[in-house]
Amino acid sequence: MDITDLKIGEEAIIKKVKAKEPIKGRLHAMGIAKGNKIRLLDHTLKKQTWEVDVEGTRVALRDEEAKAVEVER
Amino acid sequence: MKKIKAVMVGQPNVGKSSIINAISNARLHVGNFAGVTVEKKEVEVRKGEYEIDIVDLPGIYSLHAYTPEEQVTKRYLLEESYDVIINVVDANVLQRNLVFTLQLLDMRKKTILVVNMVDEVEQKGGHIDAAKLSELLGIPVILTSAKEKKGVDEILDRVIEIYHQPKCGCKIYYNEKIEEEIESLAKILLKSPHFTDYDQARFYVIRLLEKDEDIYRIVHDLPIFLELHEALGEAMRRLQLEFDVEDVRDLFADERNALAKSIVMQVMQLPRQETLTDKIDKILIHPVLGLPIFLFFMWALFQLTFQIGSLPVDYLDQTVTNFANWLKGILPPGDFNSIITDGVIPAVGAIIMFLPNILILFLGINLLEQTGYMARAAFLLDGFLKKFGLQGKAFIPLVSGFGCTVPAYMAARTLKNPKDRLITMLILGFMNCSARLPVYVLLISAFFATNSAGNILFAIYIGGAILGLFVAKILRMVLFKGEPEPFVMEMPPYRFPSLKALAMELWIKAKLFIKKAGTFIAGAAMIIWFLSSYPHHPELESRYLQKIEQVQNSEQKAQLQNELAAKKLELSYLGQFGKMIEPVFAPLGFDWRLSVATISGLAAKEVIVSTLATLYAVAEADEHSSTLVQKLREYVDFKAAVALIVIIMIYSPCVAAMSTFYAEVPQWAWRTFYTIYPNVLAWILAFSVYHVLALLGL
Repeated sequence: MDITDLKIGEEAIIKKVKAKEPIKGRLHAMGIAKGNKIRLLDHTLKKQTWEVDVEGTRVALRDEEAKAVEVER
Repeated sequence: MKKIKAVMVGQPNVGKSSIINAISNARLHVGNFAGVTVEKKEVEVRKGEYEIDIVDLPGIYSLHAYTPEEQVTKRYLLEESYDVIINVVDANVLQRNLVFTLQLLDMRKKTILVVNMVDEVEQKGGHIDAAKLSELLGIPVILTSAKEKKGVDEILDRVIEIYHQPKCGCKIYYNEKIEEEIESLAKILLKSPHFTDYDQARFYVIRLLEKDEDIYRIVHDLPIFLELHEALGEAMRRLQLEFDVEDVRDLFADERNALAKSIVMQVMQLPRQETLTDKIDKILIHPVLGLPIFLFFMWALFQLTFQIGSLPVDYLDQTVTNFANWLKGILPPGDFNSIITDGVIPAVGAIIMFLPNILILFLGINLLEQTGYMARAAFLLDGFLKKFGLQGKAFIPLVSGFGCTVPAYMAARTLKNPKDRLITMLILGFMNCSARLPVYVLLISAFFATNSAGNILFAIYIGGAILGLFVAKILRMVLFKGEPEPFVMEMPPYRFPSLKALAMELWIKAKLFIKKAGTFIAGAAMIIWFLSSYPHHPELESRYLQKIEQVQNSEQKAQLQNELAAKKLELSYLGQFGKMIEPVFAPLGFDWRLSVATISGLAAKEVIVSTLATLYAVAEADEHSSTLVQKLREYVDFKAAVALIVIIMIYSPCVAAMSTFYAEVPQWAWRTFYTIYPNVLAWILAFSVYHVLALLGL
């Protein structure tokens, strides 16, 4: 499962970041890295943009990137 | 006096500029979102017998630089010479920040760690053990709060202290297997006479294992490159097998993340609780309510800008007019009297009176920046902006464009993709800058009912923004095919803006505005006055003076005087120039005066107001229209006024903005395109609007 499968407020552990470089590097730098805790905070009406909390950092990302982050409840 | 050069680096929005402002008396612009500082800034501070030169570098998330402004920082770190690195981190998100610190420590330069915003952690009931953190990392650690000016003085002491130490005491090492590979590769590098320092070789090897192209380029021309290249490939294969990863970059990312996590666990306690930011975000970026709330904020801002800002306008306008008339009576008659009372004072006065409007608009934009709402707006608008071939982050330069186009062009550097950046810059001019505000306020008060004025102003700004989006879409479809860059952005926590910082920014803005009015615009006004008063036509004047003496009726006298003044203006250099360009603007219903004013706006948009003030000042004799607003009503028709607003919304920004664009965009093709297309578009749209209004019978 990935971020977009989470419900708002739900927490999970990041298993793998499947995005390609350099986006992967950017996600890593934002704290979206293997083993970190992630919580879905919000999404826009059409579920195009997602907001998550990883270890205290709030990050906004698009559908494509959110789908590339594998998580486990 | 001993000189120390220190560089201030850290991830975006950790408060680097705020710390510099707190240590020195600098007034660097600060805000609450990633990418406030996009250029390096230097500040000098004295401490005892030391002169410490601090370079404030743009925020950088990682040494894998991603955006152009991060590239600036990376280049500086790698290529320039400096004595000490001041690494600033945000205490609230220590783990993420430490990942970058670990990358920095690979350099083995003299580094101190400044843990900023520690007050916010303490407020949440948290605690950071600085001594332990310092022990684990092997570098000095200082806890600070730039906002409360706590601990900032200690930074300079530590800088001086570490400056005198022989080298960095960093103790961070990776997994044994990784370190073994690093060591054997570093030995190959050290065979080259270019490398004598093991620490540097180690750093380069780590960067090479992480496929850093900048470092690759440096070692590419070394004689040992072939050997190194081969060994590097083998090492990567071994590491990939050993650790079961697809890419050694992931290995380092995991290593650093795990290290940072374990360090944070040892030094920090932070109770997890629902923060105020969580609560506010539930409303402000609500899936359904978010956008309407955002639109309401923007609408309210323009209402306030007009309604409150225009309260003192009439009063100021009358005062300036009275002052000019009073001075006219005192100064000896002649050219000097005229240049001051007809040229400079009305011109400068016509602009100064809009200071309240500009300050309110600026305050609004500043609040957006400082509270952290800017990033939320980018989040809300991302899906919408994507449809037009832009991305959410483009919102930040676009909003800055409402303040001034010059910093907005520079703020576009936070966009990574060159196409995205260029599209954003090409439409930035449609975001009406605050210099255009005086012109709009003047025209709106002259031609629209007072109760709808705020809405008209909002419509002008929204209209410009919507037009910009359509142009972006067309550019994306025709010239820049391809998808916009992915959108990954940090959302800062909400912060209460520092009232002192707000007041300071407003004060600086007011000072700059008055200075600009008093120098550049006064100068432009003098030129306009000169061009509108020369050459003299003695025989025309004497002919009229005779006529005036012949008539007895004072009304007729006044009429003749007006006629003379109008004739003189028409025959002046400016009049000749205006007549020359009038055919271009005639289809828009402009007379030569409006045409000249439009052209003068290329120097600075406020100059349009001062030029109108000078050109319409001639009809002084009519007592009923003493202020500029009244004169405009008399001499300009409604359709032309609307067409003028349309032109100002779209055509080229001022020379300062244009030269910034040229500096940021090196390609001549784009520079040429940028210089021509807004003007053509402005003319076409103004023409359409004028004729549509004519059809409606207005």
